[in-house]
Order: sequence, then C-alpha cells, then structure tokens
Amino acid sequence: MAPGRLSQEATWGLIFLVPYIVLFLGLVIYPVSYGLILGANPKSYVRLWTDPVFLRTIVNTVVFLGVAVNIKLFLALLLSGFFVHERRWIRWLSVVFILPWAIPSIPTILSFRWMLNAEWGMLNSLIFRLTLEDGPNWLLDRWSGLGMICVVHIWKYLPFWTLILLAGRLAIPKDLYESADVDGASGLQKFRYVTFPSLRNLYITCTLLSTIMSLGDFNSIYLLTGGGPADSTQTLATLGIRYAFGMSEIEVGVSTVVVALPVMLPLLVLMLRRMKKGEQP
Amino acid sequence: MASVSVEAVRKRYGALEVIHGIDIAIPDGEFVVLVGPSGCGKSTLLRMIAGLEEISGGTVRIGQRVVNQVPSKDRDIAMVFQNYALYPHMTVRENMGFSLRLRKAETEVIAERVQRAAQILSLTELLDRHPKQLSGGQRQRVAMGRAIVRNPQVFLFDEPLSNLDAKLRVQMRTEIKALHQQLKTTSIYVTHDQIEAMTMADRIVVMHDGIVEQIGTPLELYDTPANLFVAGFIGSPAINLIRGILRRDGGRCWVATEAGVDLPLNGDAAGQDGQAVVYGFRPEHLTPVENSGLLSRIEVVEPTGANTFVYAELSGAQICGVFSERRSFAAGETLHLMPQLDRVHLFDAASGRRLAA
Ligand SMILES: Nc1ncnc2c1ncn2[C@@H]1O[C@H](COP(=O)(O)OP(=O)(O)OP(=O)(O)O)[C@@H](O)[C@H]1O
Ligand SMILES: [Mg+2]
Repeated sequence: MAPGRLSQEATWGLIFLVPYIVLFLGLVIYPVSYGLILGANPKSYVRLWTDPVFLRTIVNTVVFLGVAVNIKLFLALLLSGFFVHERRWIRWLSVVFILPWAIPSIPTILSFRWMLNAEWGMLNSLIFRLTLEDGPNWLLDRWSGLGMICVVHIWKYLPFWTLILLAGRLAIPKDLYESADVDGASGLQKFRYVTFPSLRNLYITCTLLSTIMSLGDFNSIYLLTGGGPADSTQTLATLGIRYAFGMSEIEVGVSTVVVALPVMLPLLVLMLRRMKKGEQP
Repeated sequence: MASVSVEAVRKRYGALEVIHGIDIAIPDGEFVVLVGPSGCGKSTLLRMIAGLEEISGGTVRIGQRVVNQVPSKDRDIAMVFQNYALYPHMTVRENMGFSLRLRKAETEVIAERVQRAAQILSLTELLDRHPKQLSGGQRQRVAMGRAIVRNPQVFLFDEPLSNLDAKLRVQMRTEIKALHQQLKTTSIYVTHDQIEAMTMADRIVVMHDGIVEQIGTPLELYDTPANLFVAGFIGSPAINLIRGILRRDGGRCWVATEAGVDLPLNGDAAGQDGQAVVYGFRPEHLTPVENSGLLSRIEVVEPTGANTFVYAELSGAQICGVFSERRSFAAGETLHLMPQLDRVHLFDAASGRRLAA
C-alpha cells in the first residue's frame, strides 16, 4: 500500500462516518452555535436583569425544581417499595400506574386545566356541591398556580422515576433481606440498613438527572397556566417563548436559556462523573 | 442450644406440593446434613425451619416450642446463606455485630463478642474492610462469624461452600466441623455433595423428591443403604448395580443375570427364589482373584496414585473397581473379580427396597 493513502478499510470507515458527522453538525453544532450567537448580545442580559418578570421567574424555577423534583423522587422511592411486591394484582396496578407517563401530555394536561377552572371546572363544581361554597381560584394565583404545576409535573413523571427506582430495588439480592429477617430487623430497619444504602447512589443520580430534565419541562407549565396570570408562574423553560414569540425579542428569549447554563453544566458534569464512577458505596 | 424436631412437615406452592411430609428429630448439639439431588427440597425444608418460608402442614419445634407461627427473628437461629448475604455497605465488624445491635446489646458486649468470633475465625485483621474487599473464602468466614456472634440455639447452613474452589472447600469443611466441635451448637447443613455430607455429618438425612429416603450416620448409610436411591447416592465412585433373578438351590444362593452370569451370594441372603432383584457391590469391595471369579473385560484404567480405578464390562453392565494394591491393569485384559460376599447389597427390583438379611 502506498504511503499517504488510506487502506480500503479506513476509507469505508470514513464513508460510514459521514452521515453521523453531517447529522451532528446539522442538528447539534449548528443550532447550538446559532443559539449562542443569538444569545451573545450583552444588551439582552441587561434587559433580563432589569425585568421584574425575569427575577420572579428565577425564583419560580428554583421553587419548582426544589419542590417538584424532591417530592416526586421521594414518592417514587416509597411507591417502588410497594410495586416491588410480587402479587398479580400489583402487577396489573403497575400497568395502570404507568399510564400518565405513557400517554401524550397535551390532552391530559389540558384536561387538568379544565378540571381546575375556577368557575366551571370539575373540582370546584364538586366543592360547590358538597359545601355550597366557591372553591379557590386554583390557577389564578401565583403560588397555588405553581403548586398545581408541581402536582401535574409529579403526576406526569412519577411513574417513570418509580420504575427506575423499582429496577434499583429489584437488583438488591433477596437474601440480604432474608439475612436481615434472621438478624431481627423490622421493616423500617430493613429499609434503613439494606434498601437505602443500596439505592442511595441511584437516588442521588436520579435527583440530578431529574433536575436537569425538569428544568426543560415546558408542557406542565405552558399547558396548565401558560405562565400566567400576569407572567407570575413562568419558569425558564417557558420564559423564552414569552420573549421570543409573545414580545418578538428572539435574542432575549435565547438568553434566558443561556442564563441556565452556569447551573446546568456543572450538574451535567457531576452526573456524567457519577455515572462513569458507577456504583461505589 | 436446643433440639429441633420436624414432624410431618409439608410444603405447597399453590397446588404443587414439593415436600410431602417429613419427620426428622435432631437432638441437642447434633450436626445434621440434609443431602439430596438438586430440586429435592432441601433448601425449602431448611428455610421453613428458619422461618423464611411458610409451613404448609405439620409442625416444626425448636427446643420445646412450636415455631410454625414464630417470625424468623424470634426463633433464635442463625443462618449462613449460599451467597453469604453480607451487607455490602457495612464493614466486617458491623456485619458481624449487626444482629446484636438490632437486639440493643451494649456496645462493649458487641465489641467483645465480635472480637472473640473474629479470633476464632482468624478475621481480626479484616474487621474494618468491606465485604467486596474480601476473597470468597474470607467472605464465607465472615458469614460464619456473623452467625456465631449471636450464640444462637441452632445454626442453619444452605450450601455455604458451593461458591468456593475445591481446595478451599475441603479446608472450610474441616474448619466448620472443628467449630462445631468447639461450640457444640445444633446445626443443620444443606448440601448436594455427598462427600461433604459424609465427612461432616453426625447424621445424614438423604432426601429425594420431597421425601426422606433414609436417616442415619454416614457409615450406616454406606454399609446398609435402605434402598437403591440411597445406595446410588452415597459413595464415590458410585455403587455397582446389576439386575438379575434371585436363585436358591439347597443351601446355595446366587443372582442369575440375563446375560447368563451367576453372581455369588452368601447362603443366608434374604429374598425368595425367582424374585427380581438388584445386586449391588461397592467398587472398593471388589478383589481380583486368580480364577473362579466373575469374568470381566477391562475398558478403562485410571491410576490416581493411591488407588487405581478400573472400569470393566461385566454381564453387559459397566462396573467400577477401586484397587489399592499396585498391580498393572491393561485395557482389553480380562480379569477375574470377586465381590466380598458379606458386603454385597441386595435390593428388591420392584420396590427398590433393601432385602434385609
Ligand atoms: N417459589 C416457588 N414456587 C414454586 N415452586 C418452587 C418455589 N421454590 C421452590 N420450588 C420448587 O420446590 C422444589 C424444591 O426446591 P429447593 O430449592 O428446596 O431445592 P433444593 O433441594 O434446595 O435444590 P438445590 O440443590 O438445587 O438448591 C423444586 O422442585 C423447586 O422447583
Ligand atoms: Mg437449594
């Protein structure tokens, strides 16, 4: 083979790589750099920091992530302990339980929105019938709106995380529990000394991953409150839309996403490190 | 320490019964081995005694107390699992002290007992390691240590050596036996390895398909197996078994095989003339003779140094002989072999039961 010329194998290798390189350039590098260019204008950031809506949005985002992610994962941890039991009816129930996660968001979250409608929603009609009093304005107040957003988010994503933690529980050898039984551990002690130490790493990884994923949860907010009333329930995921399409300030819209990067990137790096390190008690 | 008694115990999984009424009485301090082929129900029986498996019928007593409804932790037993079941996030010390800690024993008491158990099992250097930093044999010892710190009434072992290599297995076998001689705690030990059973047990329970085939000391099982199953299961290499018809003529007695060979018997052998029987003799009870023995053709010779294993064809069946004297055997050679008549076993062919002399 002449020097400087590729072997046939290497040539074919390159040919097969081309589609991936093209896709990567077209679908990752191009949009990301275009976004960064759009978000590179310092004026956008001045505009953001002086906009009270933006500051409120930061608070909303932190509250949403802190409350929704933690409650969701804690519930998932408890529920996975229920679904780990081997009974036929539990198996059927778990299929039903997966549904919220499996079905599309738009119809389900919209029906939440209608159920929660203050005047004619199902919930308030029910409250009125039972108590003859008007129910609260669920979605027309910042904090109850955010609360409902958390509820919908948890309802939607709880099954997924329950499934992940269930897999974690199933990987714990059964004889550890039997050994703990013989040693005299109660149910709670078995959780404390066997289950939790084995799940701890997974739980932390799930929390990180869920935080990253929930930051991008657009549907739960946009479809339920639309960020309203008066932009009081926006999060970073929905705020970009407000600027970009509501107010035709595309550059500012992109900047809202860039703002999240200093928090997101360390989280991502931390996560990837943990995953590489694997299970290490 | 306590006796254990298993009375008419049954186990059903739904409609499927896997243990069909087992009776075993284990006196205080005895080392009993449950042995049998895979799937015969040894683990299930042990787990019922441990309280890890519900008892479908019959009674299990530990000491004088019926424990059918008593939860595992209140049965005062300790169990060593096949995969050791060490808590991965605790150190060896914490693993060993865990049960005492759950029982709210004082810290000094726990430390002292763990220390003593560690000494007995030479684990002192390893106390601060985590299980995954230990070798298989060390893990096995920690599992033992965890059992002995409790000082329970009964030790239960479910194939604790099956994950070790052959050499370590032999070594741990001796250690467990020595430990039992020191502690004298009633022990029930499950294995499918008959050598392990023979070498460790005070008494062996041979199980098969959910029933007990025979209970006895190792030598009782070896010398007087109650049936064909036990005869075939105990002893290595396995006993030679040849089918035939029992013949009596005056004071003389023999077994006639289909191939026309007459297998010799003592005159006082049990059984009736014309009865279909199985003639059994162990490989080590076969002697080469000059002539007048059973003519057999050697197929394979396996010298091991101490003994020579000879596989030969006799009356259409393959038999094995073990000879300790140095004598050259060659494949293809014909040999006169004679079983020691007082060690020949005779079984009824139909029921498989031993014909008592
Ligand atoms: N949960 C279960 N459901 C149905 N059948 C079972 C269950 N557990 C065990 N069995 C059956 O019970 C029988 C006895 O099982 P067991 O585990 O006691 O066997 P074993 O003698 O310990 O075998 P091994 O030497 O392979 O461990 C087997 O036939 C097995 O298939
Ligand atoms: Mg078993």
